[in-house]
Amino acid sequence: MIGWVITFLILAGIAITGGIGWSKLKKEHQEANSLPIRSIDFNELQDGVFYGAYQGGMYKWRANECQLTVKSGRVTDIQLIGSQDPGTKNTQHQMLYDRIMDKQSLQVDTISGATLTSKAYLKAVEDALVHSLGK
Amino acid sequence: MQETPLPVSQITQQAMGTIMTHKAYGQNADEALVAVFQEVIRLEKLLSRFLPGSDISQINQNAGFIPTRISRESFIVLNEAVKFSKTCPGCFDITIEPLVNLWKIGKERNLEPEEILIEMTIPLVNYEDLILNPFENTAGLRNFGQSIDLGGIGKGYTADRVKEVFLQYGVHSAYSNLGGNVVTLGTKPDGSPWVIGIQHPRREKQLIGAVSVLNQTVVTSGDYQRYYIDGNGNRRHHIIDPKTGYPAETDLMSVSIVSENSLVADALSTIIFIAGLNKGRDILQRYPQTGAILVDTKMSVYITRDLSERFLSEEGFEVTVLK
Repeated sequence: MIGWVITFLILAGIAITGGIGWSKLKKEHQEANSLPIRSIDFNELQDGVFYGAYQGGMYKWRANECQLTVKSGRVTDIQLIGSQDPGTKNTQHQMLYDRIMDKQSLQVDTISGATLTSKAYLKAVEDALVHSLGK
Repeated sequence: MQETPLPVSQITQQAMGTIMTHKAYGQNADEALVAVFQEVIRLEKLLSRFLPGSDISQINQNAGFIPTRISRESFIVLNEAVKFSKTCPGCFDITIEPLVNLWKIGKERNLEPEEILIEMTIPLVNYEDLILNPFENTAGLRNFGQSIDLGGIGKGYTADRVKEVFLQYGVHSAYSNLGGNVVTLGTKPDGSPWVIGIQHPRREKQLIGAVSVLNQTVVTSGDYQRYYIDGNGNRRHHIIDPKTGYPAETDLMSVSIVSENSLVADALSTIIFIAGLNKGRDILQRYPQTGAILVDTKMSVYITRDLSERFLSEEGFEVTVLK
């Protein structure tokens, strides 16, 4: 009988600790998921080398620092210079950094399917015509 | 190490009812652009149904009476168009003009065409009534009132010709944008691919993403060009379904085709737009060299496998690679 009580108490202990742990973990994840990221106008960057840091949320698990290089108004390099995460050896962050640098390269040569923006072109034609009139 | 940059030139041209931009790099860029400009005008004079002397206008005028002797080039374009009509019967028909015209008049008067008029016009739309005689180089429409509109294929052919002209002038790095139909030649002068934005079907100043191409064409058909919303909230756009006589009701908002051949891309973008996602996917499998970017009415983006490394979407789009 006493054996059953002990087993029950141990199981209840595990369940309570687990439950508390789980709810805290969930809170931490929730915080990470709802982390606001400001939108940045990539057209207004100034050249230089910049440092950035994030303190890492309620348990500092996600703390990291990076170094970012802007040349000619474009992000040319991002380096991770410090992290709490033991898993930093995986390349996840590198893929993310590559994507950030790629995204700004959505500077396209021309656009397929955009005839409605032709007003701008028309304006240019008009301008050219005015010039051709020698005015 | 300072390399001298290649000479670059660009011109803008108003032709075929739209605005075109041509850009070329290299020693002969200027001469090539002048030749391209003239080539577009030459083709418009052959293929436009709006210019009275064109081959197409003459076929239309003689409909129901006599066949018309036409240029070899017009013949080739018509022949290709008929082939595509057979690819997807009821999706693509260059004898669509009577219906297009009906909707155009409707739009001008801000009135939907009467159902009875549409029903009476549908039988006129039938590519099988276009009689092509390759020995005589003639083309004729069987019935009075029938009429051809090369809107779904003419700019594609023109884009292919523009590319030829660039090559004739020794230009190996260039692109042309023929009112949204983009054709590229070679790479950019630095050897990198051309990056072609794909227009967002609902937001004028936004893209859904961009695709990198070398020596290829990117042609987009969508429901967001030349449209109006009618009293019942229907989007009445310019791509008419030859089966129903109404602007195509499809589960796609936009179809972009990436291909070596612009004529093929032009026709396929219209065909797949009308066919819709599922049928369009089947049609695409018959063209293994052809890539596609499809946007459905839920704003989901579908791309063919070959584009998975070359298409980069803007944030917020869910992209599915088609099997």
